[in-house]
Amino acid sequence: MLKRYFEKVWVQNLALLAMFGLLVYYFAFVFEFKYDFNWAVFTTEGQYGHMGHLMLNGLNTTITITLYSAAIALILGIIFGLARLSSFKPVYWFATCYVELFRNTPLLVQLFFWNFAFPYAFPEEIRFKLYDMDFEFWVATIGCGIFTGAFMAEIIRAGIQSIPKGLLEASYSSGLNFTQTLRRIILPLSFREIIPPLGSEFLNNMKNTSLAMTIGVSEVCWSMQEVLSLTYRTFEALIAATLIYLVLSLSIAMILNLVNVKLKILPRGHEPMSRKVADTLFAPLEWLGSGMEYLLWYFRRRSDTSKTVSPLRRLLRVSSKGFVLAAKIGFVAAIAYVIYMTISAVASFNFEVIWANLPALLFWRFPGGDETEFFMGLGGLAGALLMAVISIAGSFVIGLLVGMGRTANNRAVRIPCTIYIEFVRAIPLLLVIFWFYTVVLDIMFKIEVHAFWAATIAMTFFFAAYIAETVRGGIDNIPRGQVEAAKASGLSYFQTMRKIVLPQALKQMLPALVGMFIAAFKDTSLAYIIGVMELTRAAYAINNRLMVYPFEIYTTIAVIYFIFSYLMSLYAKRLERKLSPESVRIAM
Amino acid sequence: MRVLKITVLAALLVMAASVAFAGPTYDRVMSTKVVKAGLSNQGIPFGFINDKNEWVGFDVDMATEIAKRLGAKLEKVVVNNNTRISFVQTNPPKVDMVLSNMTHKRVRDEKIDFSITYFFDGQKFLAKKGAVKEVTDLANLKVGSMQGTTSIVNATAYLKKLGNANPKVIGYDGEVAMFEALRSGRVQAITTDSTILLGYAAKVPGQFELVGDFISDEPYGIGLPQDDSAWRDAINFTLQDMWKDGTYMTIYNKWFGPDSAYPFPMTEKIEMWP
Repeated sequence: MLKRYFEKVWVQNLALLAMFGLLVYYFAFVFEFKYDFNWAVFTTEGQYGHMGHLMLNGLNTTITITLYSAAIALILGIIFGLARLSSFKPVYWFATCYVELFRNTPLLVQLFFWNFAFPYAFPEEIRFKLYDMDFEFWVATIGCGIFTGAFMAEIIRAGIQSIPKGLLEASYSSGLNFTQTLRRIILPLSFREIIPPLGSEFLNNMKNTSLAMTIGVSEVCWSMQEVLSLTYRTFEALIAATLIYLVLSLSIAMILNLVNVKLKILPRGHEPMSRKVADTLFAPLEWLGSGMEYLLWYFRRRSDTSKTVSPLRRLLRVSSKGFVLAAKIGFVAAIAYVIYMTISAVASFNFEVIWANLPALLFWRFPGGDETEFFMGLGGLAGALLMAVISIAGSFVIGLLVGMGRTANNRAVRIPCTIYIEFVRAIPLLLVIFWFYTVVLDIMFKIEVHAFWAATIAMTFFFAAYIAETVRGGIDNIPRGQVEAAKASGLSYFQTMRKIVLPQALKQMLPALVGMFIAAFKDTSLAYIIGVMELTRAAYAINNRLMVYPFEIYTTIAVIYFIFSYLMSLYAKRLERKLSPESVRIAM
Repeated sequence: MRVLKITVLAALLVMAASVAFAGPTYDRVMSTKVVKAGLSNQGIPFGFINDKNEWVGFDVDMATEIAKRLGAKLEKVVVNNNTRISFVQTNPPKVDMVLSNMTHKRVRDEKIDFSITYFFDGQKFLAKKGAVKEVTDLANLKVGSMQGTTSIVNATAYLKKLGNANPKVIGYDGEVAMFEALRSGRVQAITTDSTILLGYAAKVPGQFELVGDFISDEPYGIGLPQDDSAWRDAINFTLQDMWKDGTYMTIYNKWFGPDSAYPFPMTEKIEMWP
């Protein structure tokens, strides 16, 4: 009977209201914060300056880095995405190396590498010139751009490859020339494929800029930390930073949504309001596109009507061939030079230092595995892997439930799940870790845990939101007819989920889950910020002792991260091939 | 309905958890015989990891001695510049005391309590040998400092006073990053408490030197939980006892004496109550 009541919308709304009321009641009357908010810190000039201005400066820097790095990433993504399709092998190999290398190492380690080690590759004069030009800012911007570019390259490659050959043949045979085909067929179709994942990369890029803090760029997270340590206003600083990221994420999501609406194929005359808004907003782009097409029409290659080729044209043809050949040779030479430089740089490493510290990097036991230490001082790579395993296992359970909740018809379940997913996905992991470490566990739940657990729990809740989205995608992919058939044969909701939907959905999700595990493994590096002795922090501590070998240590951990992530991504690829619906018969 | 029930249950559980909190620090330490000390592990020579993978330093020795005198076992907890205050500020505190080359400041004292000053330091600048001849040379240099400390604020104010209206002070995340910035030439000087600078200068002997005067007073205090006078007294008396019987100077000379790697002559006396 209860169940029937719960199917009514007003009951669901009431339940939502009750939950909200309970939360408000709890935090307003029952919960003892032992904390008085003082928002005046952001509006008044204190002993250490104006904190509001500090945050605004941070916001300014974050937006600047985000915009620049997004542009860099898009350009790199297009170049390398196309290069991955090149038939000229050296270009293909180079692009593949770029994509695999930068996708399989943590951004944090990349930033450390660019910041601490890379300058030493240059002679002193150039290095000092570099330092004069706001070096940290550009390292963060270009570093984020290169990192995101590697992800975008893969998306763009997949998007272009997804266009069926038949469509191109059809468009040529219907008389369109290449530029028209490009603009009318290839780009719109591949864009439709690309835009949603590309959009989430833009969003990720914005969140990733929070890591610029670690190399001394004063963006939002940096300002937040500064406010924290100058005023000890934990809540205010955290809430301000979180709100800033929320607003930024929501604005990006809104723009992406408009783009999506714009690209949707709709019957003429039935456009909804959002489409009209999008149409007016993107009208300039439309004019630009048709203008280009108009211009290009006049520069199209005219078919040769005469049998003879004029000497000038022949010369042009020969020289363009020569130019292409020269470019190819130049490219190979440049690659050879880069390889030579890398090998000679690696050869000049102090391998003794690496060798002596490798055990500590793999199994950090500090100091000598003191009994008061966490897990007898376990850390380094072993700690990072443990963290990734625990957090993915935990987030799988939460993600499964929340993902199911997100697809539920019941509002009282769906809305809280949606809020959770969207909220967590809108803020950077760095902030989530801060929240859990300083506020959620400690002040709200009064649980005192080791930083390792705080970071692991934070990562669990963070990745749960992403897994929930994957689960939702998996569930949505199951044909509706199956659910209806299950319902008709008398199965309850949970039976349908357990016996019909989830087994199929999970199989489809497996590669994505392995990908998530790789992301979790790489993101354990962020726990460094609260002092967990995982791989990055162990490297940091070793650097702190040695002081003069950052190049060696950061390269070593980059290689360690790469080896593990790359092996896992190879495994994910194999899984994907093995589980693709064409080759596997789903047995139940 | 089921959802509601679960929500209510969860809320009740949280409430129950929030009621149970520990008593005052002094009673707890005396009954459990364990004292938790927050220590830095990257502040040479106060608390750092040496090449034998041991956690050593002036602060570590001080904490060990204090714990010994209280008859308790020492439990070392890593803190950094961003967490050293909040770890004693939380309720219950995550650590019972923080020794992390932390300056006693009035703003900080509003949040936590401090012991009497147990170390006297001041902020200085470290630069390449010969790079800075006059103090005024500092004004237009690019300066590095540490994020989460008041050194940035002090340095900015000082450079302004020297005549640079728009000084460039960059706050790095931790000591390594800051020193690396100086070593690679990214900044021409770095600034923080002089003893820490000495520790780094000793890593590459003969290349760097301290320049200029002390630009601030940095009296170090042990950070203690707010409003626990029994605990604060216990720590203060222990410090004074250590000073009286010479243990303090033994530890001091081990790290800062004339034969140590970071010589820093003792010029003051810790506060002694008759």
